[in-house]
Formats: sequence, C-alpha cells, structure tokens
Amino acid sequence: MNIDQILKLPSMPAACPSYPLGPYRFINREYMIITYETDHDLLRAAVPEPLVPNAEGHVLYEWIRMPDSSGFGDYTESGIVIPCTFEGEVVNYTAQMYLDDEPPISAGREIWGFPKKYAFPKLSVNSDTLTGTLNYAGELVAMGTMAYKHQASPGGLEAMNKAMTKTSCVLKVIPNFDGKPKICQLVAFNLTDISIKGSWISPARLQLIPHVNAPVADLPIKKVIGGKHYIGDLTLPHGRVLFDFVKDQKP
Amino acid sequence: MRKEDVLQLPSMPLQSPTYPRGPFRFFNRKYLIVNYRTDPKAIRDALPEPLEPDGDQVSVQWLDLPDGEGFGAYSAAAQVIPCTLKGEPCNFISQMYVNNTSPLAGGREIWGYPMKFGHASLITHGDTLTGSLEYASQITAQGTMTYKHQAHPEIVNRENLLLARKQVTLKIIPGIDGTPEIAQLIGITFENVTVEGAWIGNARLDLTPSVNCTLADLPVHQVTGGVHLVTSMTLPYGHLLHDYLA
Repeated sequence: MNIDQILKLPSMPAACPSYPLGPYRFINREYMIITYETDHDLLRAAVPEPLVPNAEGHVLYEWIRMPDSSGFGDYTESGIVIPCTFEGEVVNYTAQMYLDDEPPISAGREIWGFPKKYAFPKLSVNSDTLTGTLNYAGELVAMGTMAYKHQASPGGLEAMNKAMTKTSCVLKVIPNFDGKPKICQLVAFNLTDISIKGSWISPARLQLIPHVNAPVADLPIKKVIGGKHYIGDLTLPHGRVLFDFVKDQKP
Repeated sequence: MRKEDVLQLPSMPLQSPTYPRGPFRFFNRKYLIVNYRTDPKAIRDALPEPLEPDGDQVSVQWLDLPDGEGFGAYSAAAQVIPCTLKGEPCNFISQMYVNNTSPLAGGREIWGYPMKFGHASLITHGDTLTGSLEYASQITAQGTMTYKHQAHPEIVNRENLLLARKQVTLKIIPGIDGTPEIAQLIGITFENVTVEGAWIGNARLDLTPSVNCTLADLPVHQVTGGVHLVTSMTLPYGHLLHDYLA
C-alpha cells in the first residue's frame, strides 16, 4: 500500500474501512422527539461555551430509526439535543447519542464529533403507542411514548422541511497519540435534500433512569412539553468548524 | 462548560467521556495466537509503506480482556502482520474486532487501532482452547488450540520478547470536510509486562471471506502453530513513527 492509496483511505482499517466518504443519504428516517423542560443550571453545565443554551430550559430527547442509510446500513439511534445559540444564531447542539451500529459510531465521532456510544435503542409501534426504549450495558435507561398519529403537525410538511434545515452543532474531541488534545472543535452542519413524508404531534411521556455511562437522566425532567413524530429522506453532508478550542482560544 | 475545561476532556461526550486518560493497565489478559503462512503478495498489499514485509507468516489472535482499566471487560480478535520499519522488527495491527465502545473509540481515536464492532470470544470448551469471531451475524473466523500441552520457561522468555515487539498502527482520522486530518504510523510498546503463563501447541484456523471483516483476505496456506498466553501489562500512549501529511 503506497502513500497515494493511504491518503485516499476514507477510514480505518485500511483492509476494510469502517465507512466510505460522504455525503450520506438516509431513506425513510423516522423520528420521535419528546421535548421537556429541565433545570437551567444543569443545562448550562452540559453545554460547552461559546454556545448558550435556550432560555426556556428545553431539551429534546430523540429516537431515530434509520432503516436505509448509505455507507452505514440499518440501525437505530437515541439521544439528547439541546437548542442553543451561537453568536446569536439558533442551533441544535447534540449532547449524547446511543446507537447499535459501529460504522456510524466511528464516522460520527471521527468526521463530525457526534458524541456516540454503542447501545441498544429501539423505536417501534406497539399497538396504539409509538414507543422508544434505550438499553445501555444491559440496563434500561430511557423510555418514551407518544400517541400514534393523532394530529398532523401545524404548518404541515412544508414547516417541518424548513425546521429540518436548522444548523446542528457538535463538540468534536479527538486526542493525539500522546494523549494531548489534537482536535477540539465546535463543528456545524446542515442537512440537505430534505423531503418530509409525514409529520405528527401528540402528548408524550418520558422516563429517564440515572446511569453513569449513559447519563440521559442528568438533565432531569421538570415538565414534558410534547412529542413530534415524522418521517422523511435527507442527506448528511460534511460540516464546518464554528470554533476551534485549540487554535481560537487565547491563553 | 467553560472553554478552558473543554480542552481538559479526555474524550466525547462532554457529559460522560467514553474513555478516560491513559495509561491503561490490563490484568489477566489472555491470548490465543494462531500463526500461519500466507501469500507474500497479499502481505505486501496489506502493509502501508514504509513498512516492509518480514517473512510470509502472519497471525490471527484472540484476546480475552476481563479487566482493563478505563475499558471494563471485553473480547477482541485481531490480525497481526510481522514487518520491519527501517530495519526494526515490528508487528503491524491490520484489523481488530471488539465488543465494547470504550476500547473501540479509545483505540481508534488515540492510537489508531483499526477496531470495528464484532463479537469475539475466547473460551475453553472441554479440552479445546477456542476463539471465534462473529461479524454482522456470521462466523468469520474460528481458531482452536490444544489446551496447555507444552509449557517451558524458554517459551515464556520467547513470548516476552514477542510482546515487547513494537506494535504499529495506521491512524486515519478525517477532518470535518472529509479530507484527511490525521494520517500517521503510530508505534506502541507495552510496558510492565508480566507473563503469568505461556504454552505452545497444535492449532487450526478457519477464515471465512466477508466484505466488512476481511481476515480471509490473507488466506491460510499452512498453520505453523498456536500460542496461549496469560499476562498483565500496561498500554501506554503511543509515539509517532511516520506522518503521511508532513
């Protein structure tokens, strides 16, 4: 293997790369998102500066079924998203993610800095209930439920299409081989080619259980606001650096 | 979290880092190593320059890691290709499969261990030391060895030397725009190695072709023997051997 071949590798291992080069197209991505209100001080501590968390103290707890994802296959994800602002612009900061497939874990962490760990999330329709669960290291840590397709979301598909173009943001941390920080950046990206096929709202309930390595319950539930359920196709492209903690930070 | 604290994070996510800072001590780390002859051209193709092939033997290894600091309990399978770098004998780790995110993410992100998620197991079945690897629901490798048939102090010494051999990994991390941000050969030398037992014996190996778990791309021409080790050791940080972007 020569240097040209090495520099063209999309990922490790060289013998069978975990993931190809992007962008990545997702077909029939199905979301259940439960919005709840939490404690302001805990929210502040969970969000890295220079991001500022939303004043309402809202947190989005999500489940996503991804049955057909280019480069990644078929998998399910669950996690926590915190609406924030960056220099006044509204962004969604992804704080925790749990999924059951290694290529999107490695690609997510290594390209963008999605804070992904291996676990067993599930999103399914059980009789009349849209149900999300998350098992980590053998234990149930989250369970969310929504009434099934009770009401189309206000504004219809067009409003949901527009909402999906909101900037997303993650904290990418990759150490150097000697343990020192190598990459430490706030990274942003925007989904493209979005086509929402259905979108619903309903009441929801959410249970989060304290666990040290999957601390979904560290932002406690004060009040559940409601649930959103939608399905669509979209493309996840590469991203851009918003803030570099190594290069932009003055000593 | 304050900006200056962000730089102190050992890993993602901020709220529960996947792995802590090293070094990482392993206790009661067991190996099954099956050595075999393969196709020299396949070895040449699998080795990144400037590494040079060192003979026609490679190995598939199973590791049972019941107690790894920062990582917990897990199992691994790996393919190892002996090679040289500027004349120094090394072991290139070409593929690894583990069933635990902490070592998987830490391995890839710190040193560039080429880890994917697979279900490896190393157990003693009756009279047989058995390693198996399942990837995406299919068995892709099975190794078997006689159980503790032959133990000698000189084997312990020899295997001590084997474990002292520098490991080499190819660390590839893309940048946010998809172009390479890190492309390096990293060297790792285990520290404070204690060999608690070492045995050699007959072994057999079966590798099944699979597109995302490509151990069988180095085909088994002749099995030359098995090694069974029980050790404790420390995995320290690595050092830079070669930077492809420099």
